[in-house]
Amino acid sequence: MTVTTEVAPAPRRSSRRGASFRDAGPPVALIVIFGVFAALSPQFRSFGNVQNIVDSAAVLAVVTCGITFVLMMGSIDLSAAGVMGASALTVSLLVANNRNGNDFGFFGILAAVLLGCAFGCLSGLALVLLKVPSFMATLGVSAVGLGVATLMFAGVQPNISDAALKGWAVERFLGFSYLTWIAVACILLGWLIQRYTRLGRYAYAIGGAEEVLTLSGVQVRPYKVAVFALAGAFYGLGGVMVTSQLGAGLVQAGNGYDFSAITAAVVGGTLLTGGRGGVLHSAVGVLLVMVLTNGLVQVGVSPYWQGGVEGVIVVAAVAAAVIPQRRRNQVVK
Amino acid sequence: MSTSAATAAAPVAVKERPRLSGFMPIIALVALIAALTVADPDFLTQRSLTAVSRTAAPLILLAAGATIVVLCGGIDLSIAALASLSTVFLALWIPNLGGLATLAVIGVATLIGALQGTAHVLLRIPSFIVTLGGMSILSAVALVVSGAGTVRVVDDSTVKWLDLYVAGYVPMSFMVAVLVVALIALLLKVTPLQSWVSATGYAESAARLAGTPVDLVKIGAFAVSGACAGLAAVMLVSRQFSGGPTMADNLLLPAVAAIVVGGTAITGGHGSVWRSLAGALVVTLLRVGLPIVGVPSAYEQILYGAIIVVAVALTLDKSKVSIIK
Amino acid sequence: MNALEVRGLVKHYPGVKALDGVDLVVRPNEVLGLAGENGAGKSTLLKALVGLVSPDQGQIFVRGQAVKLRNVVDAANHGIGMVFQEQSLVPNLTAAENIVLGSEGAGVRRGIYRWNEMRRLAQEQLDKIGSPIDPLARTDTLTFAERQMVEIAKVLRIEQRSQHPPVIILDEPTSVLESKEIETLFAQIRRLREFASVVFVSHRLDEVLDVCDRVTVLRSGQSVGEVATAGAVPRELHRMMIGSTGSDDHYHENAATPVTADQPRLSVRGLSGKSFHDVDLDVAAGEILAIVGVHGSGREDVCRALFGAEPTTAGEIRMDGTKVDLPSTRAACAAGIGYVPAERKIEGMVGSMSVADNMTLAKQKPRLTGPFVAPKKQAALVDSWIKRLSIRTPRRDTAIGRLSGGNQQKVVLARWLIGGDVKLLLLDHPTRGLDIGARSEVYRLMRELASSGVATVLLADSLEEAIGMADRILVMNDGRVAAEVACPSGGKPSPLDLVKEMV
Repeated sequence: MTVTTEVAPAPRRSSRRGASFRDAGPPVALIVIFGVFAALSPQFRSFGNVQNIVDSAAVLAVVTCGITFVLMMGSIDLSAAGVMGASALTVSLLVANNRNGNDFGFFGILAAVLLGCAFGCLSGLALVLLKVPSFMATLGVSAVGLGVATLMFAGVQPNISDAALKGWAVERFLGFSYLTWIAVACILLGWLIQRYTRLGRYAYAIGGAEEVLTLSGVQVRPYKVAVFALAGAFYGLGGVMVTSQLGAGLVQAGNGYDFSAITAAVVGGTLLTGGRGGVLHSAVGVLLVMVLTNGLVQVGVSPYWQGGVEGVIVVAAVAAAVIPQRRRNQVVK
Repeated sequence: MSTSAATAAAPVAVKERPRLSGFMPIIALVALIAALTVADPDFLTQRSLTAVSRTAAPLILLAAGATIVVLCGGIDLSIAALASLSTVFLALWIPNLGGLATLAVIGVATLIGALQGTAHVLLRIPSFIVTLGGMSILSAVALVVSGAGTVRVVDDSTVKWLDLYVAGYVPMSFMVAVLVVALIALLLKVTPLQSWVSATGYAESAARLAGTPVDLVKIGAFAVSGACAGLAAVMLVSRQFSGGPTMADNLLLPAVAAIVVGGTAITGGHGSVWRSLAGALVVTLLRVGLPIVGVPSAYEQILYGAIIVVAVALTLDKSKVSIIK
Repeated sequence: MNALEVRGLVKHYPGVKALDGVDLVVRPNEVLGLAGENGAGKSTLLKALVGLVSPDQGQIFVRGQAVKLRNVVDAANHGIGMVFQEQSLVPNLTAAENIVLGSEGAGVRRGIYRWNEMRRLAQEQLDKIGSPIDPLARTDTLTFAERQMVEIAKVLRIEQRSQHPPVIILDEPTSVLESKEIETLFAQIRRLREFASVVFVSHRLDEVLDVCDRVTVLRSGQSVGEVATAGAVPRELHRMMIGSTGSDDHYHENAATPVTADQPRLSVRGLSGKSFHDVDLDVAAGEILAIVGVHGSGREDVCRALFGAEPTTAGEIRMDGTKVDLPSTRAACAAGIGYVPAERKIEGMVGSMSVADNMTLAKQKPRLTGPFVAPKKQAALVDSWIKRLSIRTPRRDTAIGRLSGGNQQKVVLARWLIGGDVKLLLLDHPTRGLDIGARSEVYRLMRELASSGVATVLLADSLEEAIGMADRILVMNDGRVAAEVACPSGGKPSPLDLVKEMV
């Protein structure tokens, strides 16, 4: 019975290895939306605003990079907010700050990223060992992260005075802030991992057909944990970047980034069911989300609507993605 | 027909053992009260019990409503955001509508819940993503409608009754919450809804192939969840004399924790609203109890996170899902 | 020395004996055919050979050595590999990655992919079968036949692991191939014989005779014979596959009542869907119509479409002369149609719910007073049906999952009967996984229902069952009705008459 679906010859695409027509959707949408806003608002098409859009996309791009790997497996990650909060507090207490005498500089940043990695590990272990579905496991880990951040915050906001870290958000190279270049480096790194490492390829394969991997003798559990850990490291870096922007470590550093990152990844063409999409898709998705929210503000829509816009597009994007797979009696939980 | 063998076997069969897990939330509740009483002998007084039950009331409602969705195999992550939005609506509408504002808010919340349910079943989007999107949208609406600020209620006479005490020490809000839980439980029990909801949660495809109105049941579940969030919002307003766009947001985690601590399986089918009532009380006691045993309340979040993961792991029906994403 | 030998393999599943002492010998460089009806134990045997099923008794010898196969990797290390019926490739990876999956070797160094090396390794395997497929093509852009070649290439990689000539099992590889593709596949199989042993499984006897050197026939979990294909005739093989009917009146034929309806109860004209086209069929009240066809014939989907569980693109369905629209299963229930799904454990019943709840799930009315459940009414109703169908259950509120398969199936059937308004029953493999006694009871029940005027559409588990139970048989092939064979009591057609039309 199931074979019948396979009998239909798979549509041959013009290029077997290159981008398919489906992958072209988000970039086209990006250009169209950019064009529409540029036509509507002179403010929007100014160079300064474009710079602004790209710079403000940096943190989201890094976080989305991480979540993309989790989504590629068909899992979901709601832990970004908590992990970023914890890493923001960690880095702000380890580099030069007004709360203690620490001045570990780069090692502080490294520690924050590793903390994120550890939180990711925790989510992954809860998934593979306790068999807790990822959205529940990461919801729990997010709460733990926020709790850890609150403990470190201890009622007094740590302001950072580390010049290098502060400089990330302020100093510019070729017109864009260092944060933007960090994001670009992360996207490149993510793409390399996705394309050239076993971890990345297996994450992709797990989303495609996990049972086949098991059948071929691949132990998928370590890879799942590793993917969550990798994602956690990206969130950790995201938390550091927010701290650089704010000049202080806040528990709420990652507020909203979890959902925005899912939105960006999904809009970029990564399927929630896994097995499709990738870091480059997500990068386009991030720009799409940022252009849309920035553009709406420029044409006079209240910035409070940002979350609403994201909510609508995530639902619309997921709905559009499931249309080709619809069948009667489908079980959707 | 030859039935003798069958009927003869029936009386001999042993009575099925009641599942121990059914009593777990109650046991946890009693153990917790006992432990807190040991830690602080002043705990087991009428005054602190009254305070606990008053604090627990909105949480009970949120958890009970979302439990129906979980029983159907889904999840509703929008309850807290919906409750926040409802507080704003209520605060804005009381001056014009007076007593009717309460009903209007519950009605609107029900509709919003049903709308999310409809999106879930018609667009075939997983419930957690619909309600995650819904959470974001509802928060945005609340921010815009309220102008991102607290909306004060000057004349709270129409909602004040919810903040009164029955017989002097039982909070009215707690009574109402228990009443709602009892009502939902009764409605499920005496109508085919119970078997429809369970069948949908345990085995959706089997339910559908038996002609169960799976789609309607799911939409209904989301509507009940919305209505409960609306009522919880009324309680919050009656207590705080104001509505705020993020007022109930921090109730999401405790509500989810209450459901899973109660023992309702996140995979659907197994569980009940009574369990969530017990779960909500456990969660509230933990929150109240932490300072009593000398743990800083900053540990609260960590505790919720740990509870959710552990409770889900314990109640999960592992036979049902071979691949867990 | 034999490449592979199986001695006395036994495997029990709850209620059924899937393998009952199977013997099998595979010699080096030969193509062995494995034939048998559905349920003869072919798939369980194959699963045991690749370590997916651990047998209860018996032994497997590889090149004379007794081995214990714990999983697919274990089997591969011993040089046994299988091309699965449901293809086992990761659709979103390249063909090369699929071929080397799990044994990348030099293709991956320290977790880093070396695409050129990977491509070379894959090309090596593809060259063995002379396939022109681009190793770096994404698997889901390939045709079904091409994917099968990739799968064969993947299995051939076990040669590198065991350093011995491999044993390659092909499970129903032809069921969805075009005839030209089948020719290519057979050429491949003959090529494989040069350096490997092949086990070829198919229920198309002509193919088995065409490509194999020797055929082993399985029937109800036992090897019943072995034939050299040179000079063998399909009729002989088929007799071995079917054997003689066990009991005298297994199908309760004396309880069959002649159909005396002037107008069909169900009348379907030109029904088309994704996997079936232009299907016409009529079923009269009291008639049992069996639909037979091989895997992929579309009969399951027709059955589901009649219950509103599969969308249709054209055609009309009439019940007692009135046109009915079936957009959902709800509508079908309301029209008096009942459906017993093939996957009882997943689709048929709600395992954790009680017998009573399962029985009343579809027809709520008989247990309600107004909108409310009347516990006494429900108890009386359920108990009466437990008695009528002799369902062996401790209590009516026992979870249905704790019952035996046959009793579960009776509860699922009872679900449609308690309303007393069912006009048409669709039975999708109603006896799958049941032991012989339970089968017989289900057959008796079907006879009773037919005599009471219920029209039945039956997708039988075996040809024998279809012939035994049906008044008329519809043969489906490739989504279309290929033939209609009358099947009255006393004038039953032979299975061969049907097989002719099926392929």
